[in-house]
Amino acid sequence: MGEVELSCLAYVKMYLHACLFPRCSVNGLLLSSSPAGGAVCVTDCVPLLHTHLPLAPITQLALTQVDVWCAQTQQRIVGYYQANACVSDSSPTPCALKIADKIAEQCNNAVLLMIDGGKMSPDYRVPPIVMYERKDTRWTLKDKHTIMLRQWEETRDIASQLLDSGDHSLLVDFDSHLDDITRDWTNQKLNAKIAELASPANGNV
Amino acid sequence: CYIFQKGCGRKDCHHILNSSPSFDNWNVLIIVFTEMRDKLRKWREDNHRNSEQIVDVGEELINEHASKLGDDIWIIYEQVMIAALDCSRDDLAWTCLQELKRQFPGSQRVKRLAGMRLEALEKYEDASKQYDSILQDDPTNTAARKRKISILKAQGKSAEAIRELNEYLEQFVGDQEAWHELSELYINEHDYGKAAFCLEELMMTNPHNHLYCEQYAEVKYTQGGLENLELSRKYFAQALKLNNRNMRALFGLYMVSSHI
Repeated sequence: MGEVELSCLAYVKMYLHACLFPRCSVNGLLLSSSPAGGAVCVTDCVPLLHTHLPLAPITQLALTQVDVWCAQTQQRIVGYYQANACVSDSSPTPCALKIADKIAEQCNNAVLLMIDGGKMSPDYRVPPIVMYERKDTRWTLKDKHTIMLRQWEETRDIASQLLDSGDHSLLVDFDSHLDDITRDWTNQKLNAKIAELASPANGNV
Repeated sequence: CYIFQKGCGRKDCHHILNSSPSFDNWNVLIIVFTEMRDKLRKWREDNHRNSEQIVDVGEELINEHASKLGDDIWIIYEQVMIAALDCSRDDLAWTCLQELKRQFPGSQRVKRLAGMRLEALEKYEDASKQYDSILQDDPTNTAARKRKISILKAQGKSAEAIRELNEYLEQFVGDQEAWHELSELYINEHDYGKAAFCLEELMMTNPHNHLYCEQYAEVKYTQGGLENLELSRKYFAQALKLNNRNMRALFGLYMVSSHI
């Protein structure tokens, strides 16, 4: 299908989400602030769950709340990501396919992204992600060459920096928000930190 | 920092004094040490899996304050070893294991820890043999049986793990932790009916636990159909009755009510 671009912000938060809960499967939604049509630009993500991914009520609740927030902030839900607890198996689970199907109903070129835990070593060179797109009714592997991450090295370094400094604990997913309702699942604080690290003033283009 | 080392920059360093050595320094030293030991005890009692913190505090305690710990040191070695395995700190885990082996030669409990280290190194066959040898001497050793099931889970063999866990529970019906683990395994296999059964067992023996009620309600909701939704509503409400700050139960109640 088309090209997909993954922003620094989206990648870093997904990565930190997986690092924050290394013993659980985690998932989340991919958002875009660009208009529909043409290449899919994933500009942000919302980390959702780290417990009981297949159960319906909280997933439905989260989808609804994120939908509303997106409408208010001119964003769209364009995809879904998941990192499996079992590092050796990074294939999409039935619940991943189900949620991705639901998203695809609203968004034509939705993407399903699996984080490959096995490739997340400290000195990994390529993004540890595998992307799927919808062809007919099945999710098929996307051609690696249609996936773009601008300034990959800088993005990777920002993620490592935040991990080393312990700032990944700032990340709030929907599950954590339900445990403590005052915590912000839109992660404004963390977004600001990432933006600061990514800004030209820091020598990153 | 005066207690640990100059300019240690530790976040939880409680030192106050910067002057030359005096009797007061010793008091501060002792206060810091007891705080660390108490923290570890609390985490042990609450069964927290905050492994990075345990390694942080525990390693310091073992290296700097071993003499003051008395007999506590053995249980701390165990706690720190398990946390170290969780953080891929095999060096620390090995040190702890050696100390425990030396103090308790031939102990089943230490054998199990050695098995866990093999698991962490992904040497599952060797780990399994270790647990088998424990079970040969003591067929009722529940810890070893549960570790064998964990190995199956780690290898992604869910169906086998479920089968073994069911067999285990036929013998050890009262093992709450095992029932909960089984419910999680069933949820991941999308076998909601059986997951519900496990949660029913847990609710029977723990009627005041709001978390079990709420999880049961979530499973029923996921199963769908009017009967299940009505049960779901009942149990979300029950969870709220037991703990009116359970947000999941509150949202769940709202969502299920809007479906019925």
